[in-house]
Amino acid sequence: MIITFSILSAIAVISALLAVRLRNLVHATLTLMAFFVALAGLFILLMAEFLAAVQILVYVGAVGILILFAIMLTQQVTGNVKEHIEAHGALWGLAGATAVLLTLLLPAILKTALPLQPVVETIDPSVRALGLNLMAPYTIALQVIALLLTAALLGAVVIAISPEKSEEEKKS
Amino acid sequence: MVPLHYYLVVSAILFFVGLLGVLTRRHAIIVLIGVEIMLNAANLNFIAFWRFGPNPDLLLGQLFTLFSIAIAGAEAAVGLALVIAVYRFYKTPDLEKMTSLHE
Repeated sequence: MIITFSILSAIAVISALLAVRLRNLVHATLTLMAFFVALAGLFILLMAEFLAAVQILVYVGAVGILILFAIMLTQQVTGNVKEHIEAHGALWGLAGATAVLLTLLLPAILKTALPLQPVVETIDPSVRALGLNLMAPYTIALQVIALLLTAALLGAVVIAISPEKSEEEKKS
Repeated sequence: MVPLHYYLVVSAILFFVGLLGVLTRRHAIIVLIGVEIMLNAANLNFIAFWRFGPNPDLLLGQLFTLFSIAIAGAEAAVGLALVIAVYRFYKTPDLEKMTSLHE
């Protein structure tokens, strides 16, 4: 189990690093998809099999394709090779991110007494219980999320629609 | 079983990588990719704490992660639509060249 964990987390970290470091945007998106798949593997290792499936469907299926479409619509896949890909003050960004990792995240994890073993050894498949939970105590949350997704998708369409075209539609 | 520490350290490193993408790159889509990586690192934390918690049968961590994934999906759609709208205006996805809020 530790071997599977090491392989999956190594894939996740390396592909995430490649996703934010590669110059070619399409390659970055593909490594991002590899990162999502590795994370789904970690979810299965933690016995959250339904969420692993959701992770693949939503992230690899929807978000990855959405990012590819955005790249396609903005037309600059690689950019000028001589052009810098880093922002101004990228070194400060690196220093800030490293400071967050080394002073906030890692000490908090390493200083806290955390369980070495899970309290419950095996967990039954949880899809049925998840569905029942969404129907009984979390119905309001589910409906709010549904409303939010609808509003967000409508908003995305309204934002992305081209202004010239909408003016033409008003005239006609 | 793998101890909880390991999952949290991996999640912290992934969060660091996402932050690195947001803070050091100038392409708008890569910045959004960094945000997605950070959200996924947080989801890994939720699931790890759920698995090692005292009551995994209540499925609180899984339900929270489910809602978090739905919100991340909405965020990605709106974020990419904003990138496309801004690109149409500035003709560049470079965040450094977007310096004003109106003409």
